[in-house]
Amino acid sequence: MMNGSNDGGSKPARTIIVAGQSSERTREVLRALRGFTNVIWPTSLESALAQTSSKDAGCLVIADDLREEPIDEFLQEARELQRNLPIFVITDPDDVAEAVSAMRHGATAVIEIPPSYSVLCEEVSRAMQ
Amino acid sequence: MKDMPQTVFVVDDDDAVRNSLRMLLKSAGVHAEVSASAQEFLSSYEPSQPGCLVLDVRMPGMSGLEMQQELNLRGATIPVIFITGHGDIPMAVEAMQHGAFDFLQKPFRDQELLDRVQRALIRDSEYRARLRHTDRIRERLASLSPREREVLDLVTQGKANKMVAGDLGVSQRTVEIHRAHVMQKMEAGSLAELVRMMMAVAP
Repeated sequence: MMNGSNDGGSKPARTIIVAGQSSERTREVLRALRGFTNVIWPTSLESALAQTSSKDAGCLVIADDLREEPIDEFLQEARELQRNLPIFVITDPDDVAEAVSAMRHGATAVIEIPPSYSVLCEEVSRAMQ
Repeated sequence: MKDMPQTVFVVDDDDAVRNSLRMLLKSAGVHAEVSASAQEFLSSYEPSQPGCLVLDVRMPGMSGLEMQQELNLRGATIPVIFITGHGDIPMAVEAMQHGAFDFLQKPFRDQELLDRVQRALIRDSEYRARLRHTDRIRERLASLSPREREVLDLVTQGKANKMVAGDLGVSQRTVEIHRAHVMQKMEAGSLAELVRMMMAVAP
């Protein structure tokens, strides 16, 4: 199983931040990433942005909107906080318009799930290296 | 120098699509040039021509995505709006990752395309204006003598004339004279403006 675990024990593993309201889609993403260590799921917008701006942030997975804020706006704020942070946005299958919009707002890649959990894990794994 | 008029280049292998887009753009007062293939477009395209590109993804021979990569290799900065009847997320993501301006699925409303074309033309115009601005700054920088350039670098680091004089081993009066020449040659009204100019051309 791929994971972002700490192999030497000297450096703490960087965090994988999963942002999204409590929805089936967010839970699916969390399940897909269960092989990784240091996955966190902030419960509020403020907390998600604070975690994103942390130097320990390894990547951000936007699984769903955050109720208070649409995905594109959150994405833009996150990108302003961390210009080089890999940010992956999860969309419903075939929602090309949403994918294009996410890319325009700073996503590194857009992944449609289901079914591409493996693509998500590969992208996250690459980002954590 | 008068700016060249903006052109919307349409590349699509479908005659009906090319013609309808040409008519639509003409009706909106936009000059359009159409090509039936990537090769036809690439053989005549000059990157100095301002405008934007409406590009079909799926074409026989070189595809739209391949043509985008060819344009990237040539250093072209023209905004590209992809149009496709068979788009999916990986295709859209790939196009955007390679710098596409937009990605539109057929069928689309006329106004939808016109809005995106307008935005793309504005972006191209802004980009070219920035490029002209930085070119002018570089020309002015090239007109400075080596000593004036040294003075410019030190004052834009925030050093006072006295410190610059110390660093260069010249009198403060000499620095003042060089500084006045720098301001004049760079056409800067203030130190802040000079700093902004240097930031604009910083690598």
